[in-house]
Amino acid sequence: MKAGLRTVGALMRRGLNEILRVPGGAVPGVLAPTIFMLGLAAVFGKAASLEGYGGVSFLAFILPVGMLQGAGFTGAATGVNLARDIERGWFDRMLLAPAPRPLLLAGVVASASLRALLPASFLLIVALAFGVDWPGLLGLSLAAVLVMGLAAAMACYATLVALRFRTQQAAPLMQIGSFVAVLFTTAYAPRELLAGWLRAIADVNPVTHVLEGVRQGFVGDVTWAATWPALVSVAGLVLLFGALAVRGMRRQGI
Amino acid sequence: MRRSVVALARRALVNALRKPQFLAPLVIFPSLFLAINVGGLGATRELEGFPAVDGFLDYQLAAAILQSLLLGGVSAGIAVALDIEGGFFDRLVASPTPRVAIVLGRVLAASVIAAIQVVYFLVLGLIFGASIKGGALGVLCVLAIGVVAGTGFGAIGVLIALRARSASTVQGIFPLVFVVLFISSAFFPLELLSAPADVIARYNPLSFIADGMRQPIAFSNEALPVLEGLLTATAIAATAIGLSILALRGRLRDA
Amino acid sequence: MLVTLLRPTGGHARVAGFDVAAQPAQVRRRIGVALQEAALDPLMTGSELIELQATLHAIAPRSVRSRGAELIERVGLTAAAARRVGTYSGGMRRRLDLAMALIHEPEVLFLDEPTTGLDPTSRLTLWAEVRRLRDEGTTVFLTTQYLEEADQLADRLGIIADGRIVAEGTPASLKAEVGRPHLDLVLAKGSDLQGARELVTRFGDHRPVTEGCHLSIALEHGAADIAPILRALDDAGFAVAELELKQPTLDDVFLQKTGEHLEGADDHGAQAERMPLPEAQAETV
Repeated sequence: MKAGLRTVGALMRRGLNEILRVPGGAVPGVLAPTIFMLGLAAVFGKAASLEGYGGVSFLAFILPVGMLQGAGFTGAATGVNLARDIERGWFDRMLLAPAPRPLLLAGVVASASLRALLPASFLLIVALAFGVDWPGLLGLSLAAVLVMGLAAAMACYATLVALRFRTQQAAPLMQIGSFVAVLFTTAYAPRELLAGWLRAIADVNPVTHVLEGVRQGFVGDVTWAATWPALVSVAGLVLLFGALAVRGMRRQGI
Repeated sequence: MRRSVVALARRALVNALRKPQFLAPLVIFPSLFLAINVGGLGATRELEGFPAVDGFLDYQLAAAILQSLLLGGVSAGIAVALDIEGGFFDRLVASPTPRVAIVLGRVLAASVIAAIQVVYFLVLGLIFGASIKGGALGVLCVLAIGVVAGTGFGAIGVLIALRARSASTVQGIFPLVFVVLFISSAFFPLELLSAPADVIARYNPLSFIADGMRQPIAFSNEALPVLEGLLTATAIAATAIGLSILALRGRLRDA
Repeated sequence: MLVTLLRPTGGHARVAGFDVAAQPAQVRRRIGVALQEAALDPLMTGSELIELQATLHAIAPRSVRSRGAELIERVGLTAAAARRVGTYSGGMRRRLDLAMALIHEPEVLFLDEPTTGLDPTSRLTLWAEVRRLRDEGTTVFLTTQYLEEADQLADRLGIIADGRIVAEGTPASLKAEVGRPHLDLVLAKGSDLQGARELVTRFGDHRPVTEGCHLSIALEHGAADIAPILRALDDAGFAVAELELKQPTLDDVFLQKTGEHLEGADDHGAQAERMPLPEAQAETV
């Protein structure tokens, strides 16, 4: 048991090297969601004057989207790094170790969860600087948990893609998956204002619940009614993609 | 000279169209973004000051085209940067190919890709219920502005690649593309933009290009916006091509 | 397949006493593998990598550091251990790769083309290490394209061509099977080559030669034949400028067993043009 935790810890620390040891490594994952958040607010800001938004600023409304986009991007990057490790032969080395396959996965996913907090924090600071209200500790903690959870789920999804295609050229597939998951929700408008087809998708997309869970503190009060669906959804996504990823890992080699 | 340009253009096209990771950002991403915008922000038509349109899609189509063209420009730049890194560029320079053809070949390829992109989005729009108010003439106007603009963006990409040190530097331009696009009237009417976009967008050449393309799609074949768009695009293309050729000469001199 | 990275489609194999397909986890615990690519993470230092490997192999935490340092010292990387692997030369990476393969004291060590691309000094160092491992009781399973390497290091070797094992045995037995040693002589300029040839015919078959005053004789009884031949030549008044005793080499074995196929050439036609036996070769190796 302890050996297992040590393995996960060691692999997690290795995963952090991407942002700690690569000069400018953290920049793309942080810059893109920030530009999107500020840009969209500058363009569509007036949308928030529509009734459905409940009087909050457009920036406050889409900040959670940016945070989850950051989480999704981090998860996708994990898959790209795995594909690179496979191409390079490092992954074979991991397979040769007696460590059980699920632990190898856990290490990589845990590092993604942790790394996802970086863009989320940066976006929060930027948003606060531009006048968004402080969400309160409860709202913030919930947001952190949900961001980390979604990053873990996305990392498992990206791992699946990496194991299937074994090349970094599959990167767009990972990124598009993350994009679709986070944006085909109540990302830019509340449910009532969405076009019919998008509302239908958002209603079945579990990430909608996750998004609403993160959004709570920024647009109002944190309520249990909005919290439990978020937690259940994120847990479900982690379990689903996690199980698939574990199965994919077990299939490697013999 | 003409044959060299065409041959190089054909090579650039074949190279580009064979790579999935090239096509995806160019076409799929702007399409998804278009879908989200239309599906999510369609209600903004209710805002005071929003011009009368048949559908939000009609309004957003030009923005999607413009976004795709800009990304195409960056991709052209990355392709040239990779050629330089990989040594193909040196091979060309050492051959009897006229130097200018190296730039023009890639730029011509960008024009062709731009045409494909414009047609793609117009067809996509039609499939999903948009209509082009200006009819066939309107389509030609959009095509003209789009191809010229795409050519210009391709040339800018080439320019950056010739001045930059590596392909990853050029790739870093991607976020900048979005910044410039957001501070324009591509996605939303000028009057309804928030700070700081509202001020900058007035002078942003992308605003003119976007408005020029949007006019025949969403409204009517009014001459002024279309001409403004076409002129802006032409100015960008001419300047960029000129600067690229200068940059090529400069690079060869330093080599 | 033998290192459990690829699932076999048929057949059986046992490594370190365990079936590769049925008991892969047990196999992995007893083998060490140094991959050809020297697949290492360039962002980590040598020490970090070897300690990571130790952790993955469930070596007790208090031993991780000491064991890592021990192996780093064994492969001569102590000075570079704190530097990132991205700064290492090819030879240094191979050595680190080897150290990592040994971290858990495996019974069987798999080395895949370990000296490809290395400079001569590094190659010799690695050979010395392989011999040392063998002497310590580790079974070393080495694949190589350098016949000299196989000759130098192997207790037993096998030659694979077109996916089948075409020869197996000790280097000495394989070489004996294929050819006899031969004596290459260079006579003084102006010597009567034809006469000399007739003279030495009774000692062994002639091998074809390409240059003027050269003779090459296949020796029936090995080195013992040299003295009589030289005496005969001397008695007849021939002056010998140079001589060299050449043993059959693994190149000879390889060429004979594989028929000198080039990868990608027409395989079907080549069968009919199998290389003649080395004794009849025009050029000595």
